[in-house]
Amino acid sequence: MHILDGYIDPATAVVMFGASIVFLIWAWKKVKANYPQSFVALLAISSAFIFAAQMLNFPIMLGTSGHLVGATFLAVLLGPYAAMLSMTIILMMQAFFFADGGIIAFGANVFNMAIIGALSFFVVKLLTRNSKSPRRFASSVFVASWLSVVVTSLAAAIEMGLSPAYASGGGIAVTIPLMLFYHVFIGLGEGAITTTLVMSLQRWQPAIMSSLSIMKGKVK
Amino acid sequence: MKKYVVATLLLVVFLAAFIPFASSSPDGLETVASSLGVQARPIWQGLMNDYSVSSVGNSYVSTLLAGFFGIVFVLTATLALGKAITKQSQTDSGK
Repeated sequence: MHILDGYIDPATAVVMFGASIVFLIWAWKKVKANYPQSFVALLAISSAFIFAAQMLNFPIMLGTSGHLVGATFLAVLLGPYAAMLSMTIILMMQAFFFADGGIIAFGANVFNMAIIGALSFFVVKLLTRNSKSPRRFASSVFVASWLSVVVTSLAAAIEMGLSPAYASGGGIAVTIPLMLFYHVFIGLGEGAITTTLVMSLQRWQPAIMSSLSIMKGKVK
Repeated sequence: MKKYVVATLLLVVFLAAFIPFASSSPDGLETVASSLGVQARPIWQGLMNDYSVSSVGNSYVSTLLAGFFGIVFVLTATLALGKAITKQSQTDSGK
């Protein structure tokens, strides 16, 4: 769901850079204060995995595709703050090397996918509460990852619709319903993939998952 | 170091298996922009535009190679970030 240059107004782009920087400073401070060096391998390998997974678009309908964003997955695995930094690096590499996502639009893409996406961590937390049930956890992950894609698409729809380029097409009154229409379905893919990944990790790599509870305990 | 090489190889195998099934249709956001007549105006073409290495003719190999480079770049950058930002505690020194 990368915004390309030309899709949003430069003024919107500047505001989104500012908003993203505020969150990234917050995330940087949180990670610096709380994370041990032993965490670096998980950060690097899971980030590289999400980069690879994002390359694989799945067809949705009407000649349109979607791909995993992976922010909820990273947030569950790494905590929301490290996930914000991880997603930002993925987006940086995509924009610089592969022209996937614009340069002017970079701040907006960070805000939409890295910040909003990683904040879905708190949706997982809210829905899971103190339940130890794996099914409750799985369904929380599904709902949170679906919601992260839908809210991200809403943010992108507003940023795009504010540009005069969409005025003749109807502005945000049209971009919002159109974006939501596609991403309600793309989000189901995100939810299915994320839930499968988390459940597989829980089954095959319980050591990683048990370290998560420690990470979760640290998230304040 | 070894675990990063293994991880990279596994991820390349993962991409090699799934790239043939990946959809090349525009994503939801691109569809919305183009259906409203808004065109992308890129100011930067990237070094491997659209996940392809231009000097490689075969599109499967080209995408896989771009994916390999991307994996290495993301791995290296997050590793550098992680080392810079995390604390070295006594228990995990020497790793």
